[in-house]
Amino acid sequence: MRRYFARKIGIYIVAFWFAGTVDFLVPRLMPGDPVQSYLSNFIGANTTVTQYRAMYSAFAKAFGLNVPLWDQYWHFWDGVLHGHMGISISQSSLPVTSVIRGAAIYSLILLVPAIVLAYVLGNRIGAMAARRKVLDNTVLPIGYLFQASPYPWLALAVAFYLGAVAHWFPIGSGYAQNLLPSWTNWHFIVSVMYHWFLPFLTVFLVSFGGWAIGMRSLVIYELETDYARYLRALGASQRLVRRYAYRNAALPQLSGLAIQLGTVIGGNVVAEVVFQYPGLGHLILQAADSQDYFLLMGIFLFIIIGVLVANFVIDIAYVMIDPRTRLAMQGAQA
Amino acid sequence: MVKSMRSAVVRSVTVFTAAALAVPLLSFTPAGASKTPSDTTFPRNETLYTSGTLWGSPGNFNPLDAGARDTGTMGLLYEPLFLYDPIHGKYIPWLATSGSWSGSNYTIHVRNGVKWSDGSALTGADVAYTINLAKTNPAVPWSNLVQVGLKGATAAGNTVTVHFSSPPPYTAWQNFLWNQPVLPAAVWSKMSATDQVSGTNQAPVSSGPMVLVPGQTWSSSTQQTCYQDNPNWWGTSQLGLSFHFKYLCDVVNWSNNIGLTAFLQGNYDWSNNFLPGINVLMKVGGYKQIKTYYPTVPYMLSANTAWLEMNTQKAPMNNVWFRKAVAEAINPSGITQGVYAGIVQAANPVGLLPNLSSWVDQSVVAKYGFSYNPAQAKADLAKSGYKGQSLTIAVPNGWTDWMAAIQVIAADLDSIGIKVHPVYPRVGGVIPLTGMGNSSSYTAFDMIIDNNAGPDSTPWSYFNRIYALPIGGKSNEEAAGLNLERFSDPTAFNLVKKAAVTPLSNTAALKSIYSQIEARFLQDLPEIPLWYNGAWFQGNTTYWKDYPSASNPNDQYTPVMWGGWLGAMTTVYALAQLRPAA
Amino acid sequence: MSANPGPARAAGSSTPAPVATGSPGEELDELPSAAPAPQGPGERLEKGALAGAQAAPVAPTPTLAAGAPAVRLGRQRWEFLHYALRNRKLVFGFSVELVFVLAAIFGPLAAPYSSAGDSSSAGVPLKDQCAAFFCASGMTTHPSAHHLLGMTYFGGDVLSIMLYSLRETYLVGFLGALFAGIIGLALGFTAGWRGGWLDDILQLFTNVVITMPALVLLIVIGAYVKIHSPLFEGIFIGATSWPWVARAVRAQTFTLRERDFVDLARLSGKGGVSIVLKDIAPNMASYLFLVFILLFSSSMLLSVSYDFLGLGPTNVVSLGDMMNSAMLWSALNLKAWWWFIPPGAAMALIVFGLLISNIGLDEVFNPKLRES
Repeated sequence: MRRYFARKIGIYIVAFWFAGTVDFLVPRLMPGDPVQSYLSNFIGANTTVTQYRAMYSAFAKAFGLNVPLWDQYWHFWDGVLHGHMGISISQSSLPVTSVIRGAAIYSLILLVPAIVLAYVLGNRIGAMAARRKVLDNTVLPIGYLFQASPYPWLALAVAFYLGAVAHWFPIGSGYAQNLLPSWTNWHFIVSVMYHWFLPFLTVFLVSFGGWAIGMRSLVIYELETDYARYLRALGASQRLVRRYAYRNAALPQLSGLAIQLGTVIGGNVVAEVVFQYPGLGHLILQAADSQDYFLLMGIFLFIIIGVLVANFVIDIAYVMIDPRTRLAMQGAQA
Repeated sequence: MVKSMRSAVVRSVTVFTAAALAVPLLSFTPAGASKTPSDTTFPRNETLYTSGTLWGSPGNFNPLDAGARDTGTMGLLYEPLFLYDPIHGKYIPWLATSGSWSGSNYTIHVRNGVKWSDGSALTGADVAYTINLAKTNPAVPWSNLVQVGLKGATAAGNTVTVHFSSPPPYTAWQNFLWNQPVLPAAVWSKMSATDQVSGTNQAPVSSGPMVLVPGQTWSSSTQQTCYQDNPNWWGTSQLGLSFHFKYLCDVVNWSNNIGLTAFLQGNYDWSNNFLPGINVLMKVGGYKQIKTYYPTVPYMLSANTAWLEMNTQKAPMNNVWFRKAVAEAINPSGITQGVYAGIVQAANPVGLLPNLSSWVDQSVVAKYGFSYNPAQAKADLAKSGYKGQSLTIAVPNGWTDWMAAIQVIAADLDSIGIKVHPVYPRVGGVIPLTGMGNSSSYTAFDMIIDNNAGPDSTPWSYFNRIYALPIGGKSNEEAAGLNLERFSDPTAFNLVKKAAVTPLSNTAALKSIYSQIEARFLQDLPEIPLWYNGAWFQGNTTYWKDYPSASNPNDQYTPVMWGGWLGAMTTVYALAQLRPAA
Repeated sequence: MSANPGPARAAGSSTPAPVATGSPGEELDELPSAAPAPQGPGERLEKGALAGAQAAPVAPTPTLAAGAPAVRLGRQRWEFLHYALRNRKLVFGFSVELVFVLAAIFGPLAAPYSSAGDSSSAGVPLKDQCAAFFCASGMTTHPSAHHLLGMTYFGGDVLSIMLYSLRETYLVGFLGALFAGIIGLALGFTAGWRGGWLDDILQLFTNVVITMPALVLLIVIGAYVKIHSPLFEGIFIGATSWPWVARAVRAQTFTLRERDFVDLARLSGKGGVSIVLKDIAPNMASYLFLVFILLFSSSMLLSVSYDFLGLGPTNVVSLGDMMNSAMLWSALNLKAWWWFIPPGAAMALIVFGLLISNIGLDEVFNPKLRES
């Protein structure tokens, strides 16, 4: 078991290094100059060429862009390991780590419940649909319809009908404007929840349909397999057969969860844009617009670390849930 | 065991998410009612909510970092020596009580009795320090003064003498006087050169009418910057100005459409967003509580000139007949009416803003000016050698009004046979468009819309922006945003330089110079002035009234919080006029 | 079973090795990383993997019935048609597609207004010299007899713009599916056929690509690329959505390469490429067809999201672009639902039709699933 995880961790480190290097290179290989972009905000008609050069070098130095690429790469990893990711050009020159920390909370409280709830409920209902014709006839088409709906459309529809028309929930921003952010203030937390609901609903709905459909067809398939027939032939109860079918079907669903994380994050960006929700998705568009290298790299890296960690957790869960792998590993250890 | 472990996991996860889901539903009522004052940090009837200025995270209060500083950093915290009133065309003494030229020296009398927010006095030494910073830190925005002849400033009490070489840079100096802050020497002298211009200054020591509400945290999810009244502000005792709101919160702006929602709901009192169709909502939609600066057309003051800017080093844009054909082919009313529904005005052919209209030589315009004339455009196009190349016109993605405007332009140009495709790259502003796609090729762009020539008290910066030489590097980086169209006319640039060192009091000489420049401009058309972007302002009278208005002679102030307006023009006066609605 | 226990196999993190073949417990002694390409539930892994993912709407798991001879399109053409025409899901799905494809091809010719330049202004200067949305007595742009789906803020006819937009959406969907299919097949066949260290490297690469959030990558790249054409968008979608195809194809190839007919082909001296293309691929033809349909719908959905965020092609109108314009121009506040509901509904219907026909096709290809 130790060897198994050691190898996994090794592979994660390789993936992390690779992704980190891509993260470092992409903004730098692309044309465009962030310092120039930044300076364009405050050069006036009085600005002379000499003055511009002086400002340029002052800001290039402040942003650490005045050294050769190789040094920047070194600083990049050094910063990653020490939690220094530079200054955000587009966000008031604040440190990237604090900018990300502020936004990440909002993205996480949106993503984690949406993913988990969609997964759990979707699988449950999908499995139920597999054995009840009535449920199947309703869940299946609805599930497919949700799955066929483009993210932006679902988000706009939710915003329109529940927000703009019914006025049940606010659209826009992460909390009421008359509050100062403070996670110890009950009014603030309530306000955050209130603003959180619609984007959450959007992300939840789109993934929910997929899980339900996937689970339904997996369980139906499992019920048709030889072992299921054999069990039935032995006189096992329908209940027992279904439980086995569900368990077997749950495994591919779990690995599916790992694969779709990146996509859910994408859908999250759309939801954050429609609802003007102050999370990472919203932030990354701003960063890209202002060629904010450091912030872009920081967010990208944050997301990759998130995906890798989530994958690792799923790996462990997989081992725990699947008796075969667990037994096999214990065997290997012995 | 496995089963129990798994179901325990599933159960706890389900409970967690169910709880997460239930809380907002249960908390529905309290959240909905959170507008009542008892719940809020900022009582609604004591707070002015503004929006439309800040587009990213708040948290930067460095007045020298114009790219990142928050709304109010200039104006509410830091103040200039003079203000400029574009509506009445005059300068208003602010931290200075007076200033005057004597030969190559300029003498400033600094106002007595001004205190920094830490209790120390603002003196001539602070003013001299601020000016001299140009000599020690070339990255401060006024370091150009050194290159045009600033020798240094000396203070004697509250009298500051500034020395220049001859001839002194009258225009550049005038721009400094009303655009740049007076800094606390005790604070800035302790900073590194880089921090002086790019530090975030989150504990500002300031002189202005408000101070930051303490205890605010700054991150990307912070949605507003809040100020509270500074009880010791000099303006109250010396000018009788005071604010009737206790707090001012500037809300971060993420998009115009969200801005419209919040404004119509009364969440914002003072909006400097472009809100499409606002005039129709006022007239037809029954929103009587909405006020604009002009009660009727054009509703908004003009803020800057939107130019159609062509890459004049690239064929066919390098041909003057082509540029003329383009200018004559575009019907400005398609933009001012079609896109803006009448809340902006078409530009005059020279393009100077209405506050500078006295500098436009009408005889020159009559002789060389252009107007919408498709037949003439076709004739000029025939002379231009245009061979049907496909061109692009670019504006930044998300600048919705401009995106619509360039579609109108493309359609107009198409009707005389010029093929132009609108494109909307995701960039942070106009200047990156000119280096777009490939920084090593200055031929990257064909046409863009540019409005970088902001409001000014003289025509000088407008023409300097057009004619400044040398032309910048390959991606315009060294031009620093000047002469983006890459047009070379040394004669015109010499006239611009001459204007810069002509005393502002010598109006006749200046008029003659500007008239010559205008004649060259209209004959060459390095830029095509199209319309004046509005100084978007909407006031909501639900909580506050007496917004600035052209129809009230005592309240004709600039209703704009943008950088370059608040703290340089008369916005502080406008804020002081506001009264509670109830 | 011939396992191929490369160290990187389980790398996947996201592929916690499928083990199940027939019944649970049968292969208890296998290490997860040593799991051979699975049959039965194994390939479901790849599909289950996609369940719920907007990127790859999963439909009914296409199955390559384990043990049973793969269905060959050619040999059983008549039987196929017989079942196809009697499958209501397939008929429904294909009818929906037919309507939209015809609309995309002929719609612009028949569009009531030839105005579709761009969704935000319909490309025409306004005749009425006022923002049409507010012309006359206020909100008069509701759907009406003249404008079946109403008008945009700028007086563009929503129906006409939608008809133009369909083309771009279909084009990008097709290009994306094509590129993803090509990359996925090439890598999947290579990894599955060659095995060994090459397989390990390809698996590692696949897993790295899976961890990269595509949208975020596009935002970064898209911010710098000047020309956004449907081709660029199609290539990008293809380049980021192939991993699950590669995995599925690899798994299938693993299974097939142990079959007798492949051994026969090998004995006859055929080269690897030839065996993959002439013996293995045809055996997966029905499966690959279903994979393509899924890729097609996921590419279209992705393109809508990208266009919506302003990352799509700039010179053409698309459904996502329409929704973007609607949002930017305050359609939510102005209650102009007809500006963004119809384009999204059209997209949802198109993908819904594809998913339903996919179930139908699955049933036709795989006799086991047919309703008796």
